[in-house]
This record gives sequence, structure tokens and C-alpha cells, in this order.
Amino acid sequence: MLEVNKISKTFKGGDGGSFNAVDNVSFKVNQGVFASIVGPSGSGKTTLLSLLGALDRPSSGSITVDGQDISKFNDRELVNYRARNVGLIFQAYNLIPNLTALENVMLPMEFAGLSKLEREQRAKELLDQVGLSGDKQQRKPGKLSGGEQQRVAIARALSNKPKIILADEPTGNLDSVNGQNIFNLLHELSKSQKTTVIVITHDISLAGKTDRRFSLRDGKLQKDRKQGQTAR
Amino acid sequence: MNVFSRGIRNAFRNQVRTIAVVGILSLSIGLSLAMLVAHKAVDQKINSVKASAGNTITISPAGFSNFSQVNNALTTTLLSKVSGLSHVTSLTETLTDRLKTIGSASASSFGASSTSSNQTSLTSPVTINANSKRGLRAFTFGGLSGIPSNFSPPITITGTNNPYSLNSNNLSLSSGNFINGNLDNNQALVSTSMASKNNLKVGSTFTAYSATLTVAGIFSNNGNQSLGNNVIVSLPTEQSLSGQSGAVTSALATVDSEDNLASVTAAVKNVLGSSADVESAQDIANQTIQPLDSVSSVSMYSLIGAVVAGAVIILMIMIMITRERRREIGVLKAIGASNLKVVTQFVSEAVTFAVMAAVVGIIIGVAAASPITNTLVKNSSTSSTSTNFNGGFRTNARFGAANGPTLLSGGRGLGKVRNEISNVKAEVGWSIIGYGFGAAIIIAVAGSSIAAWFIAKVRPAEVMRME
Repeated sequence: MLEVNKISKTFKGGDGGSFNAVDNVSFKVNQGVFASIVGPSGSGKTTLLSLLGALDRPSSGSITVDGQDISKFNDRELVNYRARNVGLIFQAYNLIPNLTALENVMLPMEFAGLSKLEREQRAKELLDQVGLSGDKQQRKPGKLSGGEQQRVAIARALSNKPKIILADEPTGNLDSVNGQNIFNLLHELSKSQKTTVIVITHDISLAGKTDRRFSLRDGKLQKDRKQGQTAR
Repeated sequence: MNVFSRGIRNAFRNQVRTIAVVGILSLSIGLSLAMLVAHKAVDQKINSVKASAGNTITISPAGFSNFSQVNNALTTTLLSKVSGLSHVTSLTETLTDRLKTIGSASASSFGASSTSSNQTSLTSPVTINANSKRGLRAFTFGGLSGIPSNFSPPITITGTNNPYSLNSNNLSLSSGNFINGNLDNNQALVSTSMASKNNLKVGSTFTAYSATLTVAGIFSNNGNQSLGNNVIVSLPTEQSLSGQSGAVTSALATVDSEDNLASVTAAVKNVLGSSADVESAQDIANQTIQPLDSVSSVSMYSLIGAVVAGAVIILMIMIMITRERRREIGVLKAIGASNLKVVTQFVSEAVTFAVMAAVVGIIIGVAAASPITNTLVKNSSTSSTSTNFNGGFRTNARFGAANGPTLLSGGRGLGKVRNEISNVKAEVGWSIIGYGFGAAIIIAVAGSSIAAWFIAKVRPAEVMRME
């Protein structure tokens, strides 16, 4: 279970003052839930995702994953947590350009300490699972289409069997058909892998298909639409 | 694939840049190695010259020169103070003169104390090619403008209290016996060349200073013309024959240990005051190798400069690369890479650049080491030569006829030492190749330091904002 309790993230402003990118946000998400975060630009979606992914620390509040308060982790613990428990998917895919699709998927497993044989075997399975098979697995990202690159990114995110997959506008650079396919893929994975998937999206229709939808405005959580009530 | 292999692979991501980096860096490493070779060769030579300098102190009359009159000669009385000093194990005293041969009778300018009585019946074994420029040059100073047809070079006569060695050469007799250096008995040692030229045997006689001298022994000069042109008598005999009672033109004190050389030299200077020029063998060696010290310093500074330049090149390149790949660094951290792993990957990339440059640089260094060393040493030797000629008496030992102080200076004249210091060999061994790769690793690691700091500063959350 992911439990977010009154977290805030404060940044210094250019004028010497400060502002809360995320302001006193609290919510709970059970394991295997497919959730979305929507909101206008500058509403704090990406900052919230960074905090959930242990890429950054909250200024206050706590984030608990299966009983562990990750906001109190030191740097080393954060690195380990990210390597083993979090899968990240980016709008621009962010694959390493001089590595093949297979090598890109193997990368997080290397950081998690898996042997080369295990890494290679699992990476092939994952790429097959996301629909990238054959010689395409040996291609570098530059030789793959946007949709294919995003599939590689999803396989990479799944590689360490994470508890949470965080996706920042994963369909943002794709056409509607590919976007829908990727969205469906994530949805299927959340069910088949029992992985919590939290997706940031501007696409309300896609967000409407998630189990839960959080709406952010000015850093504050507005509503959990599926439950039809204001988040606490 | 691991962090190391990724680092190696990344080094080839931009081939044009890789070639440029390796090219510049290899020049830096090549120059470093060439300078290291030069530095080691020169240091080796310096140490060898210093080690072979010996533990002797040369004493000569103040302002004395080989071809001047000995108006201010030292005396045995004065030098007895030196032999009385502690740590002085022996004192060789020498009085040197030139004997006019029959052929050189008109060459009155030859000889240190050219008196009317310093005629000898001997003929010099030294042959001079009057047609050669060198021969002419050697005998046209001092006002002599031509060479007589029956010319025979003057002969050096050395009176010494140590007839077992001359001009640092330990003498071995082919026949007869050594003379007693402290007895005035008109006995002489002649060289095998001299004996052959003048049909002398042990017991034969010849004249000098209008006196008759008896050959007591014949020493081997092994083809050394300079050594072969000598007649050796005891110090009292020479003092008596030349009419210079008690006079000494040079002395060589031997000290019990090199550790005591400096203190004994100071004591000798103190005892003799302004009446003598006193120099230890170490002083002379130090003066001689001074140009090599400069070469050593220049090569060391160049070595450091080249290594620093290499490190700066890598530093700039790695900073440029890390700035270019800031997003990639963020991604690696976001998907679970530690700072150490990311830094290791980038250092591996830098090491790959440096190792490739080291391979090329070692080839450049090996090729350039010898010419660079020779050029540096040659230039320094030229400078040394001119300095010493300006300095006066120490350098004119070419003909070796005048046994001035130099020839007794601890076993080697400066001309000989100078020849030795100009003969520096640049040797490239496995150690140099090892240093080359070692330098490459140091350059790479040092050059990656700021890049590593830069990498550590990249926050993984930044990757979310680079979309």
C-alpha cells in the first residue's frame, strides 16, 4: 500500500520567497491499483510524482510504502529503494541512446544486482511481453518508433518487478492509437503484475479509464473522482 | 554489460571527438614520457658523475695556470699543515715542468719555467702532424708562428712524492722498479713510448737540466700519448734540478670518507688562506654537472607541465561530456544507479581516452625521447664548454703535457668529465611504458574529478523536468 500523509514540497522562488509546489497532499492507494493524476501545467503533478518515486524528498509529511517511510531514507537507502521498488516511464522515453533496447531493459537490473544471465533472460521476456520481439530487441532507440521506444521504457520500468510504476505523460509524444495502446498495456500490467501504476496525463478520457483519478491544482489535491469525494 | 564496459563504449560515441581527444592527449603523454626519459637519463648521469668524483681535494697555487711561471708556488712547508689535518689520509705533492727537447730548442715559449737549463737529451714520443690544422693549432699559441722541421714537442717532467700514479692513472711497470718519491737521487721513470723512442732500458741514462738521470723503471702508457710524454722523478729531485727548492705546483689531498670531504675542504682553505685555490672533487663535479642539473630541472618542469596539460584536457572534455549528458545522468540515477556507479562509468570513459592516448603517446615518447634528450644535453654541454673555457685553466688539458691542477683533480680532468656528461643515453624500458600507462590513469582520474563532482550534483528529480 502507498500512503501519502500531508506531504508538502517547498521551493525557493526567484524573488527570494518560497512557494509550495505540493501543498499538504494526502491519499492512499492500494497495491495493483491503476491511478491517474490530472491537473493543469504548474499544478505540481510532476513534483508529486518525483516525491512518490523517491527522486526527491518532501519538505514535510511522510510517504509510506508497505509500512516503510521513504521520506526518512538516507541517500543510499533511496538509491536502493528506487532500484528495487520504483519503475519510471517518461514522456520522452529517456532511453540510453547508445545501448540496444535489450541493454536498456537490462540496465535497472544491473543496478539491482542481478546476474547478467538473469538480466538478459528477463529483459527478453519483458520485451516480448510489451510486444517488441526479434531483431528489434537489438536495435538502438534511434532505430525504433516512438511507440516502440515507449514499450522499451515500460519494459525497463517493469524490469525489477517494482511495487510502483510512475509514468509522466507516457502517451504525450505518441499518436492517439499508439497512446491508447500504451495506456492499455499499462492497465493490463497493473492487473497482471499486481503493480500500482500512477500515471500523469492531460488526457481526461484516458484518465477516466483509471481505477482512481486524482486532480491537482496549485499543489493541492482536489478530488478523487472515482470515489466521488474530496481527498482527505 | 557493466559500468566499465559502458564507459568504454561511451568513449566511442562521438568518433570525431574521440580522435581529437586522443590526438591531443597522446601528444601530452608522449612529451611527458620523453621528458621523463630525459630526466631519468640525466639524473642517472649526474649521480654517476657524483659517485665517481672521488674523495680528493685539489690544491693549486692561487691564480696558477699551466703555462705560467710558478712565481707563487706552494711549498712543502705550507702543505705540511694540510697533511696534518684530521681525516686527510694522504697528500700527493707535485712539481711539474717542461723539458725542452732538441727539436723544440727554438720554441722558447713552451714550458712552465722556461729556463736556459731545462734542456733534455730525450726526444718526445709524441708525433705531431704539422700539416693538420689541429696540430698547428695546438702549437701556435704563445707566440710560436711556425713548426721547425726537426720539431719535437716538449716533455713533461713531474716530480712527485707519489710515483705510483700520474694524472689519475695508476702506473704499472713493464720493467724496473718504482722510485722513492721522497729521495733526491736523480732516478726517473719513463713511459714505454718514451723508452722505445729513445732506446732506453732500466739503468740507461739521459740528461735534463744538465744533470744525468738514471732510468729506474719503465711504466706502461698503453698507447696514451699524453701519459707517454712524461718523465717522473721524485719531488726532491725535481725541486733540486729545477732550482725550485721546496716548491710545489699542485697537491692532491685524499680524505678518508666522502662524508668528511666538505669539512676537510673548508679546513684546507682555512689553513692555506689566499695562497692557494682549493677545490674538492665533489665541487668540481658539481660545477661540471651544473648544466645537467638545468636539463634535469627543465625536463622535470616540462614533465609536470605536460601531465597537468593532459589532466586539464581530460578535465575540460569530461566536463563538456557530463554537461551534454546531464539528462542521461539523471535517468541513470532515477532508475537506481548510485553516484558511485555513474561516476565510475564516466571515469571509465576518461580512462579509455587516456589509455588510447597512452598507447599512441608511448610510441611518440619512445620516438622522441632520444632526440629530445640529446638536444637538451647538447645545448647544455655547449654552454658548459664555453663557460669553462672562459673560466681558465681547467679546460686546457687536451695535449696533457702540462700537469696542472686539473689533471690531479680527483682522478679526472673536467674535459674528460665533460665528455662523459655529454654522453647521456636515453633508455626506454618497460618501466617507462608502465609510467606512461600510470600517468594516463592519473590524468584520467584527476581529469574526471570535477566531472565526478558535477555528476554527484545532478539530482534524479531533474530528469522529470527536462521533458
